[in-house]
Amino acid sequence: MRVIEKHRNILDFTLSSLARRKGKNLSLVFVYTFVVFLIASVTFFTHSLKTEAEVILRDAPEMMVQRLVAGRHDLIPMSYMDTIRQIRGVQSVTSRLWGYYFDPTNGANYTLLVKPEEHSTSGTILVGRGVARSVRSKQTGTIPFKTYDGSYLFLRIKEVFTAESELANADLILISEADFKRLFAYPDGYATDLVLHVRNANELPTIATKITHLLPDTRPILREEIVRTYDAVFSWRGGLVIVVLLGVVLAFFILAWEKATGLSAEERREIGILKGLGWETTDVLFMKFWEGAVISLSAFFLGILCAYGHVFFTSSMLFEPALKGWSVIYPDFRLTPVISAYQISTLFFLTVLPYTVATIVPAWRAATVDPDTVMRA
Amino acid sequence: MIEIKDVRKVFNWGRPNEFVAIDGVNLCLHSQSVTVLKGPSGSGKTTLLTLIACMARPTSGRITLMDREITSLPERFLTEIRRRTFGFMFQQFNLIKGLTALENVMLPAYPAGEKHAVLEKRAGELLGLFNLSEKSRAKVEWLSGGEAQRVAIARALINNPSIIIADEPTAHLDTKLSREFMEILLSLARDGKTILIASHDPIVYESDMVERVVEMRDGKIVGE
Amino acid sequence: MLLHPAIISLVTGSLLVSGMLLYASYYGLKIIRKWNLLSGSEVQLGLERRTYLISTLMINAMAFQLLSLFLFIYTADRMAPLFVGAMCAAGTLKVNIWGYPTLLLKIINWLLAGIWLILNYTDNRGYDYPLIRKKYAALLFMAPLMLVETAAQAAYFLQMQPAVITSCCGTLFTSDAEGVTAGIVGLPKTPVEIAFYGGMFLTLAVGVIYCIKGKLGYPYALLSLFASVISAVALISFISLYFYELPTHHCPFCILQKEYGFVGYPLYFALLGGAVTGVGGAMIMPFRGRKSLAEVIPRIQRGLAVISVSCFALFSMIVVAGIALSNLRLR
Repeated sequence: MRVIEKHRNILDFTLSSLARRKGKNLSLVFVYTFVVFLIASVTFFTHSLKTEAEVILRDAPEMMVQRLVAGRHDLIPMSYMDTIRQIRGVQSVTSRLWGYYFDPTNGANYTLLVKPEEHSTSGTILVGRGVARSVRSKQTGTIPFKTYDGSYLFLRIKEVFTAESELANADLILISEADFKRLFAYPDGYATDLVLHVRNANELPTIATKITHLLPDTRPILREEIVRTYDAVFSWRGGLVIVVLLGVVLAFFILAWEKATGLSAEERREIGILKGLGWETTDVLFMKFWEGAVISLSAFFLGILCAYGHVFFTSSMLFEPALKGWSVIYPDFRLTPVISAYQISTLFFLTVLPYTVATIVPAWRAATVDPDTVMRA
Repeated sequence: MIEIKDVRKVFNWGRPNEFVAIDGVNLCLHSQSVTVLKGPSGSGKTTLLTLIACMARPTSGRITLMDREITSLPERFLTEIRRRTFGFMFQQFNLIKGLTALENVMLPAYPAGEKHAVLEKRAGELLGLFNLSEKSRAKVEWLSGGEAQRVAIARALINNPSIIIADEPTAHLDTKLSREFMEILLSLARDGKTILIASHDPIVYESDMVERVVEMRDGKIVGE
Repeated sequence: MLLHPAIISLVTGSLLVSGMLLYASYYGLKIIRKWNLLSGSEVQLGLERRTYLISTLMINAMAFQLLSLFLFIYTADRMAPLFVGAMCAAGTLKVNIWGYPTLLLKIINWLLAGIWLILNYTDNRGYDYPLIRKKYAALLFMAPLMLVETAAQAAYFLQMQPAVITSCCGTLFTSDAEGVTAGIVGLPKTPVEIAFYGGMFLTLAVGVIYCIKGKLGYPYALLSLFASVISAVALISFISLYFYELPTHHCPFCILQKEYGFVGYPLYFALLGGAVTGVGGAMIMPFRGRKSLAEVIPRIQRGLAVISVSCFALFSMIVVAGIALSNLRLR
């Protein structure tokens, strides 16, 4: 095939021409890689946070009911359960007891949860790995908890559990109901919130409406709503950071434009020779295309590789605080690597496309050097 | 076979710095002849060469090359004709630095899409013809003046052109190299190539092989 | 809503392509007014040089359009969880009136860019550029369409409100919904099947004759257009059912998902490729008489015919294999 041979020849020449101008091209690839790295880090990070959230919420109940007092979340009477149970379509209603505990010695915030089916004996707890790491009390195996009246309650760690999503369970402590109530002086007959299961997911909105009607001081929350909120918030944050980064990106494209326009005298002479010798404008444009492709693709893949390492091996040390931003305690968690063609194509659109557009006109300018310039030199 | 009728080439037309480089030239060049365009610098001989060699289009007038009217052809087609028909030798050798002698010779053939290995073989043979076989893998900036010149000649021949165009080929050569160069041109002329040279060097236009000397001044032909 | 990374990139991409087309049209207008190949004046030489730039811009625009088409569908798909009731792209595209028009415009603009490039390629092979004014006039017509697409896309993303209740693809592509897509689902299955298999067979047969003998050019052009449309209809009407192995799921987007082995990509690429080369071949048909193109056009047309016949053959093969391997039996 003549066309393929022709492109092989042109590509051959392009590669050697790139190698002959190492300094200029390497610095361009370096800056380009950095831009890709920044944007790729943001998208990888937000995307895997979203995935983490999805994993957490997959097992969450379809609907939660909270009681509101003066617009704030308050304890809900157990008696509400009977009212809800009577609504048609509700399969089961259970109460949940949970809360937060601030550990001043570690400066950490734990989530305490009563899960009777997994843990019943009082005096012992199950902890997540983050907690185990932060208390460093594996030898003694007990954690002192300061109760509501200032006295101490010593609870023994029975087990450290591992979970699919470390982000979610890092700060979690499973505790017995008796200990929970003793710790916070929790009144009997009340729960933190109620959780219900329904027979048909399609009826969720109807049931939610009925609950607000029957129990006007409650707020039902659907799992779907939480997922949606997380999704929106994370995407929004990622987008925000990208908008901030657009300044950097723009600066880069100006640089690319300038590099491409500021053709050195040597390069201009070379293109003049090529055209004089019988290269057509299209051939030179092909050469410029290959040049752009080599630079773009190497910078693109290098940038993505670096970003992958940055996000999934170093826990995005560069901008973790900006993007995660809920609690400071998650001591050291690793995100589960998630990467998709969708992210890659978005990144491609955000970086390679503007670069290509920025170099079209300069490439064309270079390619339309008059063939007779060689003769006029 | 090359017919030039009333050709004019104007640069910066309609602007204050308007400049008439070629002013109504008529000329007819025959196949397998050796012609020299003679004249001082700025006489328009180089511009006339670029017009004949399909590197630029005249502002008006007609040029016919082997019975084909080329004046109204777009650049895309002119380039095609140029690559097939002409071989060029420039005032400077115009070799590309950083490439080997072999790669330089192959350059004009790249767009034709010939198989790389075949092309490489052909270029190697050409270099062998000019006693440059050992130098074929050497970067051109390491070659001596004479070697660089022969590489430039080999490059002009890679597409097997029927017409050789040389613009002031001896301007940067000493007498010995200039004579050598004329020897090579002579052998090409014997092989049946048409040769067209622009030069004001007596070694060139007084050479025995030159059949016709056309004298130019101020964009016009003033004598033969 | 606009701050989703993919949305930013889609909007940026469309703005860039619009800018490129506007730039090209500006010079297109100049070319239409001042082109004179017989002149060697500097104005004319400058315009000839511009044609290279415009071709390059159009090639890039076409490549970007194709990427943007799939990224758009993908984005819509990914945003489905944000909308109550939307389960895939089909639902998300319905959250406001701009979704489907944007998608349609993206397809149309890509096809137009492809056809334009075929025209351009042909014209560049004629030593007197016989179609130069026609093709730049066509460019003037394409630029506004691209602007409309950019605006529609922006409106679609700006007017998105995550709380809006939309239908999921399960309801959108069942016959009780209204609109074109519902009309397709509602079509009786057997006639669509006959039209698809018959049309495809005829197209391929005529295409092969055309490839070998160079005859039946116009019928083939018409058939390839018909084949593209009927294939899209058949895809929604009955082919998708076999891929999903569900007798009621007619969604044209879910086949792009991993669950279905990304089979949608080769299907749509084949369809788009077949359509653009088939119609493009027909577009240059009237210019066969031009002296400078008399030799060129038959060669180009044959090349295009080979590509489009292969595309349709690939499409048919995937469909037949999909139906044969499916666990679903509709009769």
